[in-house]
Amino acid sequence: MKGIRDAAVLVVAMVLQAAFLYRFEIAGIRPDLLVAFVVYLGWMRGPVVGTLGGFLVGLIQDLDAPGPLGLNALSKTIVGFAVAKAGFRVHRANVGVRFAFFLFAMLAHDVVYFAASSLGDPWLFVKQMVTIAVPSALYTALVVLVILGLVEFFWKHALLADEA
Amino acid sequence: MLRYLFARRTDWTIFVLACAASLTLMLLGPRSQARAAWFLQHTLLAPAELVVGWIDRGVAVYWDNQKLRDRVTRLTIEVDEAHAERAENERLRRLLQLTERRSYELVAANVVGRSLDRLGGSLALDKGAAEGITPNRAILTPDGLVGRVERTSRHSARVLTLLHRDCAVAARIERSRVDGVVRWEYGDRPILDLLYVSSQEDVKAGDRVVTSGLGGIFPAGVRIGTVQRVALEPNGLTKEIVVKPAVDFRALEEVLVYTPSARGAALPGDFYPMDAPDSTRIQPAAPGAPGTAPAAPADPRVGSASR
Repeated sequence: MKGIRDAAVLVVAMVLQAAFLYRFEIAGIRPDLLVAFVVYLGWMRGPVVGTLGGFLVGLIQDLDAPGPLGLNALSKTIVGFAVAKAGFRVHRANVGVRFAFFLFAMLAHDVVYFAASSLGDPWLFVKQMVTIAVPSALYTALVVLVILGLVEFFWKHALLADEA
Repeated sequence: MLRYLFARRTDWTIFVLACAASLTLMLLGPRSQARAAWFLQHTLLAPAELVVGWIDRGVAVYWDNQKLRDRVTRLTIEVDEAHAERAENERLRRLLQLTERRSYELVAANVVGRSLDRLGGSLALDKGAAEGITPNRAILTPDGLVGRVERTSRHSARVLTLLHRDCAVAARIERSRVDGVVRWEYGDRPILDLLYVSSQEDVKAGDRVVTSGLGGIFPAGVRIGTVQRVALEPNGLTKEIVVKPAVDFRALEEVLVYTPSARGAALPGDFYPMDAPDSTRIQPAAPGAPGTAPAAPADPRVGSASR
């Protein structure tokens, strides 16, 4: 049952990411729901599922992206694992905790991603972190909080439940 | 060793393996990466792409179906409208056949003489009593009312145009149905006055002025001209209305003499079909009757009394 729900959340996240969120792009910055999904997976299902989920989601993204194969897989593997390890016994229903987790998870993902993609060019890395990673992390954290709030309001079930 | 690690440190082992797999993919050369991507797309993602393809086609079929339904609805409405228009067309065709039986006579005549005044206050026609023309018959052109027959001889007639002091016409503002009398009030310009219109009546520049049919000489609804200017008379009781005639009296070469039947005055409906379509109830002229107009006037706007 959990697997079906996770798959459904992944499909919804991918559809929203591909077909909907570009409409809310601000100055080239758009939310990254796939990273948010990996955070959700690591947080709710533990390090094994979080790591494997991050790897597979990243791999799927790599196959569709023009960048080097494995870059998204590596970034999301690290995020899935780190979130699962750090988020253990954390009060997930708290809005502030959720915001902090999604924000830092996005930043961690982008640190790995931009560090690898701008290898040998520290200025490019800093520029990408400042102009892309930080705004994108803030935007993603806010959008995810709104989506989680809406889903939990209408569905009456917590997507990020403490007892899970 | 690996089994031991999996058993004791499952999470860390999987993490390290996933990172290693990712790094390995990253470190592959471009050609190897392309091959790996191709392999992954055709193995790992093939089932997902198959399902997505089905969904995609299903969604496309759904939207196509919606569009086709909309189109069918629109076309059905258009077909219904076409049927209604066809029925209306049939009805109108029947009405037109009825109008062939309604009647009046239009006797075509050539203008063979003009008065010496500059405006053209009177005309001489080459048809007269022998062709059935009698005094006080209305003279028309496709543009509008010309005047009336003053007197006739056997093969000629004298016509007073609207630009003659003795040719007054009972007129009406087509829009507001305000009645008055149109008459030329002297002067050197081919303009008419609409008289006896109260200052309270609704008349505006641009209104069409037509005959009202009240005088018994002119059929109702024949175009006279257009209101050019409206002002208040100095007495404050009536309006001063200037009408520009629809007909250019100086360029007349042929005219039509309107001769209503004994059943009463009526507008030649197919001559001015938009003016008074229901006022043409006169019996048709007998084909070949002396003095009747040719079967079809050359000007298509004119239509034909014998259509």
